[in-house]
Amino acid sequence: MLFFPQFALVVACNLWMLPVSAWATEPDPADPSVARVPFSRDILPLLSDRCFHCHGPDESDRQADLRLDLREDAVADRGGYAAIVPHQPELSALIERVTTADADLLMPPPDSHRTPLSPAEIALLQQWVSEGAPWGKHWAFELPVRPPLPAADEADVSGHPVDAFIRHRLSSAGLRPSPPADKPTLLRRVSLDLTGLPPTAEELDSFLQDDSPHAYEKVVDRLLQSPHHGERMAMWWLDAARYADTDGFQGDATRTNWPWRDWVVAAFNRNQPFDQFTVEQLAGDLLPDATAEQILATCFHRNHMTNGEGGRDPEESRIDYVIDRVNTTGTVWLGLTLGCAQCHTHKFDPISHHDYYSLFAFFNSIDEDGRAGGNAKPYLKYKSPLAERAVDEANRWADHCQQREVAARSRAEQQFSHWLSDQVVRIAAGFTPWQPLSITSLQAVEGTVLSQAADNSIQATGPHPRQDDYQIAGRSELSNITGLRLEVLPHESHTDGKWSRGASGTFILTNVKLQVRRLGESQVREIEIASAIANREDPAKARNYGNVKDTLDDDPRNGWTAPWDASRPDHPFAVFALAEPLTLADDEELIFWMLHRSTDGDANIGRFRLTLTDQPGAAVRSLDKMPLEELAAALGGLGAERADDVRAANSSSSIEDRLGAPLRKRLVEQYLFNHPEYQVAKHRSDRAQRQLTNAKQAAGELNVMVMAERQQPRPTHVLERGVWDQKGELVSARLPAAILPGPAADAATRLDLARWIVDPENPLTPRVVVNHLWQLVFGAGLVRTPEDFGLQGEFPTHPELLDWLAIELMQSGWDLRHLLRMIVTSETYRQSSDVSPQIFELDPQNRLLARGARFRLPSWMIRDAALRTSGLLNPAIGGPPVLPYQPDGVWEEIFMGRLTYEPSPGPAQYRRTLYAFWRRSSAPTFLFDSAQRRVCEVNVARTNTPLQALTLMNDTGMLEASAELARQAIAETDSSAERLTAIFRRILSRLPGADEQDVLSRRLQSAREHYRRVPADAAALLAVGESEFDDSASDPAEIAAYMVLASLIFNTDEAMTHE
Amino acid sequence: MNNPALAPDGHSVYQQALAISRRYFLGRSSSVGLGAVALGMLEANAMATHAGSAAGVAGSGRGLEGLPHHQPRAKNVIFLTQSGGPSQIELFDEKSGLAKLAGQELPESVRQGQRLTTMTSGQQQLIMPPRTTFARYGQSGATLGNWLPHHAKVVDDLCFIKSMVTDEINHAPAMTKFLTGHQLPGRPSIGAWASYGLGSENRNLPEYIVLISKMQRPSDQPLYDHYWGSGFLPSQYQGVKLRNAKEPVLYLRDPDGLPRHLRRDMLDGIAELNHQRLQKTGDPEIETRIKQYEMAWRMQSSVPELNDLSDEPEETFELYGSDSRRPGSYAANCILARRLVERGVRFVQLFHPDWDHHSRLISWCTARCRDTDQASAALVTDLKRRGLLDETLVIWGGEFGRGVAGQGKWDSPEGGRDHHPRCFTLWAAGGGIRPGHTFGATDEFSYNVIENPVHVRDLHATMLHLLGVDHERFTHRFQGLDFKLTGVEPARVVREILA
Repeated sequence: MLFFPQFALVVACNLWMLPVSAWATEPDPADPSVARVPFSRDILPLLSDRCFHCHGPDESDRQADLRLDLREDAVADRGGYAAIVPHQPELSALIERVTTADADLLMPPPDSHRTPLSPAEIALLQQWVSEGAPWGKHWAFELPVRPPLPAADEADVSGHPVDAFIRHRLSSAGLRPSPPADKPTLLRRVSLDLTGLPPTAEELDSFLQDDSPHAYEKVVDRLLQSPHHGERMAMWWLDAARYADTDGFQGDATRTNWPWRDWVVAAFNRNQPFDQFTVEQLAGDLLPDATAEQILATCFHRNHMTNGEGGRDPEESRIDYVIDRVNTTGTVWLGLTLGCAQCHTHKFDPISHHDYYSLFAFFNSIDEDGRAGGNAKPYLKYKSPLAERAVDEANRWADHCQQREVAARSRAEQQFSHWLSDQVVRIAAGFTPWQPLSITSLQAVEGTVLSQAADNSIQATGPHPRQDDYQIAGRSELSNITGLRLEVLPHESHTDGKWSRGASGTFILTNVKLQVRRLGESQVREIEIASAIANREDPAKARNYGNVKDTLDDDPRNGWTAPWDASRPDHPFAVFALAEPLTLADDEELIFWMLHRSTDGDANIGRFRLTLTDQPGAAVRSLDKMPLEELAAALGGLGAERADDVRAANSSSSIEDRLGAPLRKRLVEQYLFNHPEYQVAKHRSDRAQRQLTNAKQAAGELNVMVMAERQQPRPTHVLERGVWDQKGELVSARLPAAILPGPAADAATRLDLARWIVDPENPLTPRVVVNHLWQLVFGAGLVRTPEDFGLQGEFPTHPELLDWLAIELMQSGWDLRHLLRMIVTSETYRQSSDVSPQIFELDPQNRLLARGARFRLPSWMIRDAALRTSGLLNPAIGGPPVLPYQPDGVWEEIFMGRLTYEPSPGPAQYRRTLYAFWRRSSAPTFLFDSAQRRVCEVNVARTNTPLQALTLMNDTGMLEASAELARQAIAETDSSAERLTAIFRRILSRLPGADEQDVLSRRLQSAREHYRRVPADAAALLAVGESEFDDSASDPAEIAAYMVLASLIFNTDEAMTHE
Repeated sequence: MNNPALAPDGHSVYQQALAISRRYFLGRSSSVGLGAVALGMLEANAMATHAGSAAGVAGSGRGLEGLPHHQPRAKNVIFLTQSGGPSQIELFDEKSGLAKLAGQELPESVRQGQRLTTMTSGQQQLIMPPRTTFARYGQSGATLGNWLPHHAKVVDDLCFIKSMVTDEINHAPAMTKFLTGHQLPGRPSIGAWASYGLGSENRNLPEYIVLISKMQRPSDQPLYDHYWGSGFLPSQYQGVKLRNAKEPVLYLRDPDGLPRHLRRDMLDGIAELNHQRLQKTGDPEIETRIKQYEMAWRMQSSVPELNDLSDEPEETFELYGSDSRRPGSYAANCILARRLVERGVRFVQLFHPDWDHHSRLISWCTARCRDTDQASAALVTDLKRRGLLDETLVIWGGEFGRGVAGQGKWDSPEGGRDHHPRCFTLWAAGGGIRPGHTFGATDEFSYNVIENPVHVRDLHATMLHLLGVDHERFTHRFQGLDFKLTGVEPARVVREILA
């Protein structure tokens, strides 16, 4: 179904039928007071939608050799009749065929599944033919001319051009504008629109106190001058540019194109004229004496996805990239769905298949070869001036964390002697490094019989399948299992007395798994094994049998084996370290799976022994003697055999003195391994170090993907049906004349394309850009299909205003800031967004703008607003990407553990969303309704789902912002009411009403009661996030209660809405 | 209006407004949903408003007006997606003659210029006979390779399509086409289409749920979220991934230290403030917001309840095999899939990765068969005995098949097979599918389809048909075009496989 304003005009309401201006209606030359059916608005969309598919520009589907997109064809004599006979609908075959009762003749044919023409639409066609079937161009392809401002009516006192058009239209519809929004609402609205950030409390105070006539304009100017303005605009542009930090396919390799993102921010912040902005991004490399920044700008068209999949033909990928560039250029600048012409001539718009590949030719000779990852040349070697700041920040944070680690270590070490003394007592009578598993059951899936021998080893007998999975279940008294040892033992019953009953006597263990089962429960818990080491392995390359660590994947093509060597007295053993210490409950047992699924099979282990340990750290990650084992040996040397003797004869410090430095060091490490406070500090410090390493790397010379032409241009062919290797006729770079004839063929370059796009004669670009700007602040464009200004797109709600602004944009020197300033200073923009049910029913989509725009904020803006509101925001501009909080495991799931998401530590966590690392295969989870950054997206999605509610309620970042707001409010004042008001005002930029205060006080009170009753919950709640706060000075129950309150307010509709 | 999630409660003034916003939402639905003409045209005004807010939600009720087009045969779909391209030659498509041709060059008359991936385009195409032995099973006499012993017990419930065809030879494009109808990302997945068109029976769970096997092996082919994405449809129709993690749905868990009664209290506070705001602003979108927060609350209980298999009898785990005791396994996900359709979730999609067996097929492929064989068969058995199979369409298959030529040495255990788009086997069961049937055939090399080709888009047309939807009439307007799941090439409902 399509947007047909003229139909609403007939049946629904009268908003649309009123003559609007000379622009959209065509006065009858004979009698200018009679409005005629406007062809471009009312007839062409009908013909396009119902007829052009078979009677349009594309000859491949053309039926009956009839074109209805050209008047001469439509009125041509077809042997005694014509599709259209001007002034004579009764003689026009077109009218007959759309009205006939004969289903075989009816148009559009019922089996085409195109929407049948309604009676009203048919009436319009008839009227139009009666009026002589006047033809015209689709409106968007006509050069815009600046229309005169409509005469002011009594409602229009501002004299503002935007208001003149809007109000003229409103008064035609019998509507009046809404009163202005109140000052707090307006300030919040315009701050969000222009910077993506809400006002601070101080900014709000200052605006409320400023009674000067131009208080608002001053605010607008301040916002437009803010460096955050460039960031806000960049978010728009990055979505359109499908910018991301990874390739998107297969390995989804990381790229370092972020300096381009900073170029975009800087370009907006210096208000670079949009024509230059365009030319530099499309062809900066071709400008005379191009600067590094101008070349950097061309990264725009390298932001597409790249596919490095093994086995893929790079040429096929390269063709995909060129196609992406053509389509993106069409969408972003021209508002055309050029992609439709990739496979065939456009069904609706005047872009032929040939035209498409003529455009393709502009991008076909980039010096690229279709590869991805680190091989996606051409590159610009570039050192970002904005990276040093990140290094400094990371440095400071790493220092800070290291100091804390050192402090934590020294605190911990103070207790070492005590621990050591306990260990000495414990092992005085000897130390058993590995404890046997008490076997409860032995099974093998394919029938091998497993039985336990006296020495706790397990022997395989009976059937001898080629492959088998052993399942060993057992229990252990150890309270803290950290690792498991598997010994492979020879036996005389095996082939040649070796390790297995297989032909060669050797073994191949392909996989192991560890699980815990609680008695009476059906499901098991899987226990993660962190590492595996063995004393003997076959040295093997990736996918051969040898390395014991390969038993930890699910791949049967690799695994553990060891070469038989009769001269070695030791037997093979492997040590598996658990990721986390494991404590078995009384009713739980451990299940160890040994999978023998090698390619040839016949190598199942014949005899083995399983033992466990509770020793952490190096004890299960190296093959060396365990520290306590050494300690036991050392104590033996001391002659201490009984714990009492030890205690009596040796103070722990004297033991320490006699240990020797190396052993002491090992013991300290082991002790620290289980010391929670130190481990937390160390973990933080390690992360800070990793961040520093990455920052330093980012501050070096980077490869930024840019455009550069090949020495030898590639020939360009039409690709038959759009298939990459189906080459048709040769074409040269040429611009579509239906829009605007370009320079002479053959010599045309990308620079010509770029200049053609911003040529003042190009009818599309300025309209499309103005529409984007309008959409940024009104939530919807004047053309509500921002991606499609073609025949199938929507007709503008205010065509004259669109054209007026388009001309204004060009005449201002493509000054985006000027345009934005003009739009947001209009009274139309400043209206209240409240709506009565009557007006809502008349104009639910707010097309006529009888009220201010009310819409859900983009999710990135909601996050940024929370950061600003809570004071957590790190306002730095630019630099390498950062990693905001995401739930555990979001990358691991996609890549089966190959990639791990580690949120940025320290101040980097609180950067704006613009800088969030964007992995295409897993876009940031805290964003919803966001552009996916896979292909160009310029339209706005706004849905309303429970998943969004869950995100805003439970995202770590939102919760941390809530906690921080609570802490501040508590620090600022002792009054409960003032605290509540402060939090409310910080989030919503206004004071709560009495009703609202009442609701919030009640909720606050119940939260407070809970946290006073259950202090542990308060502590748990406040532990959210990275920030280090010392809450000891205040009452945690109080902070937690206000945190809940803040989170509640963050989750109100108003907090996430452009009011 | 028939959207329960939007049923107005008590605000008579807004009732009307809400109804209108509902119509506007429906109005975006393109060629379906043409009820009253006047209403339809009112909707038309709003149709292309990407800026308009869509009010549909998880559990939003009955989907688009006018759908289903006809009496559905299937209410639910379980799509057992085997990612990587399982080998039809070992598993389903018996070619006993290949043994004699082992090691011979594949005749050009068969190959007919078929594109190869660059992994094997440089090597000779020497025939590698199947690594399995085949036998006939059941009354239907379906043939199966011996790596699928559990499938053998349910063949009479399955319909094998041995003549599947796709156009893509690389994973990401082929899987994207298999699941969205187009090789480039950006189109809605079939599950998104289904939930968009038909809505959900369950108000406490999303209508499209995705389950991914937990594997320990780093995947060569990531499962991109566009495989279950909503493309240009509103994002609430994208599949919701149920994770095998503390938090089965992202952000589902309340933070530590926030007990349920406080969360409830908070939600009541949010609702009160939102109602006050609704009174002031008059924007019915706020009503929707309130309902979404309530739905979030309900999901917080319904999802963990669904995910907790402790109420399943021991016998369930025996049926699905020992791996089903391991949460996150394919087998455990099969149990979850059954629980989801029991709860009225429209479209459940499982992904099992790692079927890309370029080498050592003999061990690698058997490993994946062991992961999936028993549980896939058990799911069919389980659905059948619960009376759910009739209304649940089960599909098992991957994005393409594998070639007859050996990759690496054909005569060594090291050998594997490269990708092959020209034919592959898929099976379907239940939901209006003809049981115990085999459809389509390939040549003696399992290389070209010689009988009844079924293109991926034909499969899509058939799936929609079983759900009561005419793929020709189920369109969505985007960028000026009426998009269909089945695209622009001709597609047909494969009536021969319908019961």
